[in-house]
Amino acid sequence: MKNIVALLRRFYLFLLFLALQAIALTMLFRNNRFHGSEFVRHSSDWVGGIYSQRAQLSEYLRLGEINDQLSLENAQLRSDAQENYWNLRTDVDTLNDSTSIQRYIYRTAKVVNASVNREKNYIVIDRGTLGNVAADMGVISAGNIVGVIRSASEHFAVVMPVIHSDFKASVRLRKSGAFGSLVWRGGNAQIADVIDIPKNIPVAPGDTIVTSGYSTYFPANIHVGTVEWVDDSDNDYHLIKVRMGADFRRLDHVLVVSDIFKQEQDTLLNKVEQQDAANSKR
Amino acid sequence: MLQTVSVNIIRIIFLILLQALVVSRVQLFDGLIFPWIYIFGILMLPFETPRWLVMIFAFVVGLLMDYFSGPIGLHTSACVFLGFMQTIVQNVLAPREGYDLTQRPTVQRMGLAWYVTYAGVLTLAHHSWFFFMEVFRFSDFLYQVVHISLSTLATLVLMTIGQYLIYNSKGAQG
Repeated sequence: MKNIVALLRRFYLFLLFLALQAIALTMLFRNNRFHGSEFVRHSSDWVGGIYSQRAQLSEYLRLGEINDQLSLENAQLRSDAQENYWNLRTDVDTLNDSTSIQRYIYRTAKVVNASVNREKNYIVIDRGTLGNVAADMGVISAGNIVGVIRSASEHFAVVMPVIHSDFKASVRLRKSGAFGSLVWRGGNAQIADVIDIPKNIPVAPGDTIVTSGYSTYFPANIHVGTVEWVDDSDNDYHLIKVRMGADFRRLDHVLVVSDIFKQEQDTLLNKVEQQDAANSKR
Repeated sequence: MLQTVSVNIIRIIFLILLQALVVSRVQLFDGLIFPWIYIFGILMLPFETPRWLVMIFAFVVGLLMDYFSGPIGLHTSACVFLGFMQTIVQNVLAPREGYDLTQRPTVQRMGLAWYVTYAGVLTLAHHSWFFFMEVFRFSDFLYQVVHISLSTLATLVLMTIGQYLIYNSKGAQG
């Protein structure tokens, strides 16, 4: 009797087990035979509420880390922005024409640093050897001469502008074609001097000064400035005060001019000069 | 009596939350070790609990746990199996003079060897059922065996540590 009761007891427990297990397995397999993969969480119910509380708490505790992540992401986005990129294609206005071949190449550059108040001023532009910018190239801005590249690193180049006491360029009066030299002797950053033009050449305020094209820095007829006034106190030559077209205080975008024939022209000139020197020695 | 009931209910709710919000977030070795410590609340039911109540309790606990993790029915199934096994294991491990029915199966009352056997067998039963139902296939059998063994060990260690933390050496209270 005792055994039967014990047996029934275990039996009834086993029946209960089977019933509960059946319910559980029905719930498990009702919707999804292979349940593990496509389980959809009810995020709107009270469990979702508890989980979102927990997420808020852990988010609060991770604020520092999240800040770091965000600032890192900001930095990445910033460096992805267009303005941070170096445009490697710098050649503009390249022309293919069988009747003429190109002599000058223009490349864009931006001024990143400039000084105007010293006697030896410099301008730094954001183009260097990677942008095919090298020393002894001319720099112009909005059609006005700015200076000459002094040296270039990979990404930057230093320009010696007109307003540098060592600067010298060959210029001429557009009207008469008379040649002179453009120099700057400190003081006003907009006023340069043109020297070496004889007094028999008429010069009047308002006359235009352009580059001569004799040097390999600039093409001919690049605008330099207009004559402000003429100092004739010297005996033989005019001292022409020129108001320059380029505003050195507000330089932004500039063009770098490179002369394809520069090397050829310089080499040829050197050769002739050496020959002459050798001849005169003899 | 009422106090015992409320203590057990509060404990299981605490354990389910602890499981869902903390323990389940800790993934050791890419989930190879995954302890389910909430079954502690089922294992710790007093000996006097009617056996049908143990199974209903286990069913409800499994259902609650299912709401927090995994598909509905998975924990329920494993917990029902655990509840059924618990009565059998308690019968098998019963001392010669029988259980003191007012007591609960703690280390302090029953001794470490008894407790480790009791909890170890039941945890292994629950974890085996759970993990095999979860995967629902017997491929990667070796991985499953390692998975279950290590998870069982982790659960057992955590529960034993918990025992020493919760109950004082006398193990007197309900």
